[in-house]
Amino acid sequence: MQWAVAIASFLASAVEFVEAFTIVLVVGVTINWRSSLVGALAAAATLAVIVGTLGVALVQYVPIGILRLVVGIILILFGLKWLKKAILRYSGLKALHDEEAIFEETMAELRARGETITPRLEPFGVALSYKAVLLEGLEVAFIVITFGSSISKTATVSGIGSAAIGAAIAGLLVILVGALVRAPLKQVPENTLKFIVGIMLTSFGTFWAGEGFLINWPLADAFILILVVLYLTTSFILVAALKQTKARQLAMSSADSASFIEHEQEEVRP
Amino acid sequence: MKAIKAIYNFIVGDMIILIGITITVVVLALINFVNALAPLSGASAYILIIAVLVVLTATLMREARGKR
Repeated sequence: MQWAVAIASFLASAVEFVEAFTIVLVVGVTINWRSSLVGALAAAATLAVIVGTLGVALVQYVPIGILRLVVGIILILFGLKWLKKAILRYSGLKALHDEEAIFEETMAELRARGETITPRLEPFGVALSYKAVLLEGLEVAFIVITFGSSISKTATVSGIGSAAIGAAIAGLLVILVGALVRAPLKQVPENTLKFIVGIMLTSFGTFWAGEGFLINWPLADAFILILVVLYLTTSFILVAALKQTKARQLAMSSADSASFIEHEQEEVRP
Repeated sequence: MKAIKAIYNFIVGDMIILIGITITVVVLALINFVNALAPLSGASAYILIIAVLVVLTATLMREARGKR
């Protein structure tokens, strides 16, 4: 057992598992657990096939930079879409005719009547969960293989074995902690969760797309937290600005309708 | 056509977000691959973050104007 390799692999893999599990968790809470778990399991199966067929050659053949770039850009698009909707809802500017809102109202009505809702598979949730687990899983595979292979050519098998043990412990620990926070997360209002998902997807997307463009982020993976704070702050400012815009619009429309009624009354008077 | 529209709605569903992010990606790709623009590569991170914020603000402002 190579302890140094196992510990290094544990720490590096834990970061990747936390990133993947966070997305699986929020998809599970906001969309449904079936979609989230199907996506995660499908990604795990794809990973098993990739690692099983390519093995150590994985490091040489899969261009992780391109994968990061593509997944990053798609996550930014998804994230901005969710963030926009959540901000519009918070500011009260969300359109009245909204199919998603109608769907949510129907769900709420069904829940109020005590009827059970069959959690159907949502392609959006499955895709999000799948991509996060596949990308982070590939990174873990890279970590395990590169750390394991870096020991020495004679000790490679033992090195990869030690790195794999470190990564597996990290994975189990993250899943255990995640299962504990699952229940408290359910108490958070849905729009708040969607807002958080939007922030997280945009932050992860920016980070990964940046890595795809060979950007060296300061503080490495910890820069994701800085991105989260930055996007959160901007979103709060935007919510405040949109609320003011809405208040101005309401004031203008009530002033317009008051002057219109006054004008009508003057015309009616003999 | 229906399939393209379905994919567009599934991924983004907003033209400002799509065009804004596409332009950002093209600009970053040019900075990365064109030698003459190489001195700008240090600013890539700032360009990416600012572009995301500008795109978000632009799409929200359009929605706000549309609700008048």
